[in-house]
Amino acid sequence: MAERVVVTGIGIISALGRGKNAHIGPMRRSQGGIHAITHLRSVHAPEFVLGEINMSNDDLAKLIGLPTGDNGYTRTTLLSLAAMSELLNDVDISLLREEPFAFINANTVGGMSKMEDIYMDVLAPGTRPENIKYIDTLDCAESTENVRRHYGLKPLMATISTACSSSSNSLMLGARMIKSGMVKRAVCGGSDALSRFTLNGFYSLKNVDKKPCKPFDQNRGGLNIGEAAGFCLLESEPAAIARGAKIIAVLTGYANTNDAYHPTAPSPNGDGAYLTMKQALEMASLQPGDIGYINAHGTATINNDLAEGRAIQKLFGTQPPPFSSTKPFTGHTLAAAGIIEAIFSMWAMEQQMVIPNLNFETQMEELDISPAPSLIENVLINHVLSNSFGFGGSNVSLVFSKP
Amino acid sequence: MTQPLYIISACTISPQHTYDEEHFLDPAMTADDGQLYVIDPDYTRYISPVAIRRMSRMLKRGITAGMKCLEDAGVTTPDAIIIGTARGSVTDMENFMKDMIKMEEQALNPTSFIQSTYNSVNGWIAMMTKCTAYNQTYVHRGFSLELSLLDAQLLLSEPGDKKYLLTGGFDELTSEYFIIREKIDYYKKDIPPSPELLAHYDTPGTIAGEGAHFFTVSNDPGKAVCAIHNIAMLQQPSAKELLDATADVLSQNRLKIEDIDILVCGMNGDSRNRFLIDPLIANCAASTTIVSFKQLSGEYDTASGFGLWLTNYICKHNYVPPA
Repeated sequence: MAERVVVTGIGIISALGRGKNAHIGPMRRSQGGIHAITHLRSVHAPEFVLGEINMSNDDLAKLIGLPTGDNGYTRTTLLSLAAMSELLNDVDISLLREEPFAFINANTVGGMSKMEDIYMDVLAPGTRPENIKYIDTLDCAESTENVRRHYGLKPLMATISTACSSSSNSLMLGARMIKSGMVKRAVCGGSDALSRFTLNGFYSLKNVDKKPCKPFDQNRGGLNIGEAAGFCLLESEPAAIARGAKIIAVLTGYANTNDAYHPTAPSPNGDGAYLTMKQALEMASLQPGDIGYINAHGTATINNDLAEGRAIQKLFGTQPPPFSSTKPFTGHTLAAAGIIEAIFSMWAMEQQMVIPNLNFETQMEELDISPAPSLIENVLINHVLSNSFGFGGSNVSLVFSKP
Repeated sequence: MTQPLYIISACTISPQHTYDEEHFLDPAMTADDGQLYVIDPDYTRYISPVAIRRMSRMLKRGITAGMKCLEDAGVTTPDAIIIGTARGSVTDMENFMKDMIKMEEQALNPTSFIQSTYNSVNGWIAMMTKCTAYNQTYVHRGFSLELSLLDAQLLLSEPGDKKYLLTGGFDELTSEYFIIREKIDYYKKDIPPSPELLAHYDTPGTIAGEGAHFFTVSNDPGKAVCAIHNIAMLQQPSAKELLDATADVLSQNRLKIEDIDILVCGMNGDSRNRFLIDPLIANCAASTTIVSFKQLSGEYDTASGFGLWLTNYICKHNYVPPA
């Protein structure tokens, strides 16, 4: 049997702030993170609410000790560096310089947040010099490469883009590489910055709620876009024990399946989500009754919550473990959703608490189950399940267990 | 990682006659403006008339190359779909972004937004083959296609009964993307006709291209033409690091560089890469045939797929085409 893969380091930034305390506090107080737009320059700014991180690009640059202004780093890269530098508060960077090491990032639109503002100047003759710095940032690997360069790392690198399940795939790939012996450690995660491109994309699909989202509610009206970055350090259990590292959780199960149903909508009966969760549990050698908390994908779109709710009901029955969507705290952070919600799941297990599903009022007619509407404390959680489902039918479920 | 990837079938849509392989280099297709665009095949063969109307060319191209690759392998439903693309459907991303700017974020059509998602080709092939298994999209610049193959190696070495995997990669050239890369000196200033690209190795820059390359790979050597035994990816290596890595890969297979009959090499005519390429070639035996391909494919992030297709072609026909 292959060695177990454990999580020994965490770095995160989202609309709730940076680091663990910034997240746990509002979650305990049921204080959502969705608010009016301050930084994104969209004509829709007055009408929408978002999971926007309350820092300008200059604020982020200062936080990580970079020059402000046009420094060539997109917001996506700045968020990635903010999360990575937080992870490195607890992890000696020399560990990541030891071969063999993998750095696996995930992203959906690269430096779009900058490129959408300068694209016409970029195409025109005589592009302004400050814009030339960003000219080739419209790809998903730009933040991965910049983080690697910033810290002088030479890892095995990968960037994944499977829409909203992207960074769950990062964790899964890192675990597989460690189990195969290809690498000893891996930093896995993802990042996405808000862009008008993404906001308008989901708006054109009529998937955006102009009020804070209401996951698993009969009267839900769509999602709120958010931005975030998160990374976890994964390593083999013997490697973690050998260096005396504090083990936060064990990644005991994972599964990646595809709906093979529709380009953007999940199969309405939840077949895809069911298969993914089932396979992840099987890999962890767990029964549904062993799971103490489910962090649902729960985007609050009509389609997702119906499909996912039905899948949970099919696998766990009408008395499932407490489940919630944490999207009202952070918005839907797309490529970062998988990693930040994996982190929330591990914290829920560590703190023995169920994170509330904010804004839930009305039971969904199609379901016999409902999410946990408020904080539950002192609850026994030995194993957690975290779901991420994306466009293209890309589904990933992860199972974390107590060390 | 030494799990061999036996290549059961290969399908490439490129600027050359590769999709209709029997006409390869008959004639060789060329470009004088430094932009090699693909020869579009009949996309209605695998895609229904209803679906095809709204599809962008990258989506049609990716689906068609992938579906033909599986058909050639006799595989109806693969055991995984793993694809690499550095830029996905560039046209869709450009169109949605420009519409958004011009129409000031009002009344936008979501079609190009959906298709600009990097895993849209993966999703379509999964739907068309009813493949609910593992599905992955790598988007890491020049490593995108290699990561697809590396993941396939990993997957076939894991417990389970997976046997036939669809791997590959694609990227698209657009006139706007050409302008962007031109501004960062990616291309040659004095553009030679594409067949003469490598005769201009003394100046910086290359020429542009695009393509879609798919490979059905298996752990079963039965129907294979050739196999990939090792994959090594290096970050901005020095010449010595490249030579050491080459020697290491060969020694893992009990080979020396003198044993190599053919080196398929992605030299792209950019003088800035010569410090890597020249020592490698100098290190080869006089009897080694050096095969270049970027004068046929153009340069782009997943162009190595053309090289892999060509390698497979050479093994299949036991013949090195005069390029």
